Amino acid sequence: MALTGVYSSQNTSLARRKLSSTVRSLAANNTRTNLVFASLPVIVTVLVLAVPLLAPHNPLVPAGPAFQPPGHNGFLLGSDSVGRDELSRVLYGMRTSWFSALAVIASGLLIGVTIGSVAAVSGGWIDALLMRFTDIFLSLPGPVLAIAVVAALGPSLVHTLIGVGIVWWPFYARVVRGEIRSLAARPHLEAAKLSGVRVVRRTLRHLLPGTLPALVVTASLDIGNLVLTLAGLSFLGLGAPAPAPELGAMSARNLTFLLQDYWTAVMPGIGILILALVGNLAGDGLRSLMKDR
Amino acid sequence: MLAMAVGNLSENNSTNIQQVSDSSFDSQSSRAIWDVKPVAVIDDLNVTFKRSNETIFALRGVDLAINPAEIVALVGESGSGKSVLGLSLLGLLDNNSKPKVTGSVRVGDVDVLGASNSQLQSLRRHQLGAVFQDPMTSLNPTMRIGKQLNEVTSSTEESIELLRSVGVPDPEKRLGAYPFELSGGLRQRVMIAIALGGSPKLIIADEPTTALDVTVQAQILELILSVREKASTSFLMITHDLGVAGMVADRIVVMYGGQIVEQGTTKTILETPKHPYTQGLLRSRLTLEGSSKGKISTMSGEGYDARTLPIGCGFSPRCECSVELCQVSAPELREFHDDHALSCWKDTDKYQASQPTRPPTASSEGNDNLDRSPLDKDALDKASPAAQEKGGEVLVGDLVVSFKVGSARSRSVLKALRGVTLEVKPGSALAIVGESGSGKSTLLRSLVGLNNLSSGSMTAPPPGEIQMVFQDAGASLTPWMTIQDLLNERLLAGGVKSKLERQKRAIAACESVGLHPQMLQAKAYQLSGGQRQRAALARAIVIPPKVLLCDEPTSALDVSLAAIVLNLISELRQRLHMTLLFVTHDLAVAKIIADEVAVMYLGQIVEQGTTQQILHNPMHPYTKSLISAVPGGSRIRQTLRGEPASALATPTGCSFHPRCFEAVPKCTQNEQLLYVSKASKGHFVRCAVALGVD
Repeated sequence: MALTGVYSSQNTSLARRKLSSTVRSLAANNTRTNLVFASLPVIVTVLVLAVPLLAPHNPLVPAGPAFQPPGHNGFLLGSDSVGRDELSRVLYGMRTSWFSALAVIASGLLIGVTIGSVAAVSGGWIDALLMRFTDIFLSLPGPVLAIAVVAALGPSLVHTLIGVGIVWWPFYARVVRGEIRSLAARPHLEAAKLSGVRVVRRTLRHLLPGTLPALVVTASLDIGNLVLTLAGLSFLGLGAPAPAPELGAMSARNLTFLLQDYWTAVMPGIGILILALVGNLAGDGLRSLMKDR
Repeated sequence: MLAMAVGNLSENNSTNIQQVSDSSFDSQSSRAIWDVKPVAVIDDLNVTFKRSNETIFALRGVDLAINPAEIVALVGESGSGKSVLGLSLLGLLDNNSKPKVTGSVRVGDVDVLGASNSQLQSLRRHQLGAVFQDPMTSLNPTMRIGKQLNEVTSSTEESIELLRSVGVPDPEKRLGAYPFELSGGLRQRVMIAIALGGSPKLIIADEPTTALDVTVQAQILELILSVREKASTSFLMITHDLGVAGMVADRIVVMYGGQIVEQGTTKTILETPKHPYTQGLLRSRLTLEGSSKGKISTMSGEGYDARTLPIGCGFSPRCECSVELCQVSAPELREFHDDHALSCWKDTDKYQASQPTRPPTASSEGNDNLDRSPLDKDALDKASPAAQEKGGEVLVGDLVVSFKVGSARSRSVLKALRGVTLEVKPGSALAIVGESGSGKSTLLRSLVGLNNLSSGSMTAPPPGEIQMVFQDAGASLTPWMTIQDLLNERLLAGGVKSKLERQKRAIAACESVGLHPQMLQAKAYQLSGGQRQRAALARAIVIPPKVLLCDEPTSALDVSLAAIVLNLISELRQRLHMTLLFVTHDLAVAKIIADEVAVMYLGQIVEQGTTQQILHNPMHPYTKSLISAVPGGSRIRQTLRGEPASALATPTGCSFHPRCFEAVPKCTQNEQLLYVSKASKGHFVRCAVALGVD
């Protein structure tokens, strides 16, 4: 009894050592792994741009019999309830998701960086006012606001994006403001001030470039978040109307076939998973790279 | 007492001091007969690191033995490998840098290089102690002092006793304090207490006083001596400052480029150094003795590049005596006399036979680059009509600057400047000297409008005609901009419209500060420490200002580099007819650069006069103690008690009285005024007692 105890504890310690050596070897080429992760969004963007060339079929037009399982009749990922190619629909859906996420991030950066930097540089009551304004938007629940916007303007992808875009910038504003405030306390800004550099140029050339690392990391970590949020809204029916290939909506509509023809609902889900994963890996990779520097 | 004796060891000392040091010598040699076994032996130690595909040869064949109760000072510039040596002894080489180590390191009976982790832990616990430069980072900020001490002691009583032994006042109360609640000096004392906790045989102290004010530094050095005396602990003092080494060490080991280039007793090294590098270090050291002003002699070139393995002597590129032999063959460390070893070809037969080569050409970092540089002085002079008008003056009247600190609920007022009156004549150089917290930097920043004044008046040239050089030159250069961009901005702001003209002026400015014009395309992180300081200077003078403010521009630099930068500033000031305000904590620096000195304490000027008056006839007790705290003089040591009071709660009466050794009862009540000395003209002293005024 006691003997087996000793033996098993030896065993676990051996296993632990093995595990730790694997972890260490992973950590050893950390930089290379991180570089690969950080370049993933670029690769995905290129692939997504090339979707019209890659997709075997038109995503809107039936190309054969319905409910073909993956690998049958030339449907690599099967076909859906009306015989459209699942692969093409997922690829086009990923394209829409990816660009939607990028669009929201771009608008968020534009608004957020402007408001954040103006607040940080002005200080005083302007800062207080802008930041309270930001807080108001931060307190709005994103999906609910998007539903309200779509309800008011009618269902369309653009309306959903507007709804999400309205609540997506405050975080960037806070990040930029924080970064600029800490940069502004550094000697190089005082030195620029003494050189006679005026406030606009000081902000643009001596402060904003310094916020880039933090913004890049935040934004890339946000891609995954946004893909999920947008897919969720689309799942609820707040997105492009029916025939358009949207990942969330495709999952939702094909949910009824999940038990018999699983691929119709699962394939779009895997598409979402891939995009969200790419965003998160890229964010983590970039963060480690920035930290190493 | 002992501090006085060892502190007195220096180049120019009297016979009486000779005696003292000789006697301390005898005790040393008699000790050597008794114990034969050194506490630590390093044998042929080689350490290389790998960082981002670059190999760094940190140590190259170092032999060192530390005897019981001996204080060995390891002296060298940054990059000489002295800290790596300390870390090797502790078995704490950074694993992320993939150190490759050959040779042997033995502490007591333990082979450090071959020891297991648990062996190393017990070694560090029982035989070794460590004190690092910044006690704030080596103490755990989230733990009370008492708890941290308890990790090395067995009882609270022992902790209290330990704190008392390192001179911490009210040890019972301090046990409950967090590190941030203590001053820098107290934190370093606590660090030493922790190091002493396991009653170690050897304490490795890596620049233990570099971050401290001079007066506090003197206290800590005295503490180290008394610890050695009481507990017979050996110390390895790692320092860049030969003055500090001279004050405490029995033996000095000079390192350069990962090798020991010279070692010997403190007296030998300070008085009869043989290696050109040691000689250069001693020459470029700033002391209060010797000729008062003018150019400091400097070594050419900048530090050693540990990424390449030199074929010959590592120092030969910077060495004045370098011959062909030095460049092709590396000298061995050989015993020269008793207790004096040297690694240099000079004085050997081979050296005499070898062909002399041309003297080392100064690199872009060369000290006398300035004289040779084809600077068109005209370009700079023409550029600024202001410079020809012979500068402007700075007038400050009863200046008060205070900051609100703390949260909204417990707001208190920090009085950084408490009525400063100052007049700087055009073209003169004023040094503002004081410890940290004296308000000297606040004064400078107020002059350029970086602080809001609370009250008082100030006349200074407009922003364009007053420029400032910061303490951390690297941080004052925007990291993502090139030097050219930064100079361009200054020129644009100064109204230089033509692009060609800007280009020309930038190159001229570079040449006048001894920076290669190629460096214009570099960013701050691509430059070395000295080049950064030059680039910062270039920006300040590319349009010559009337007034140049310098905020400790040399305190972060190596000794030899500091001397080069000081020479440069002096020269630029004379050439461009600038008025200079120079903030420093170091009176020796003030001596070199200034015509006048103002000594500040807690937001007030306590003494002001010409450099001669302040250095040779100091009247205020604070000035006197500052002067005696500068390492390496043959002066009577007057260690100051305690540390500067907080500017949040200035003492009543004379703010200096709690630390003053000449205080009389009335000092606690009456606020002191700035008096004019009757004896010497233009000498102001804020002390009625010293002047005999009633």
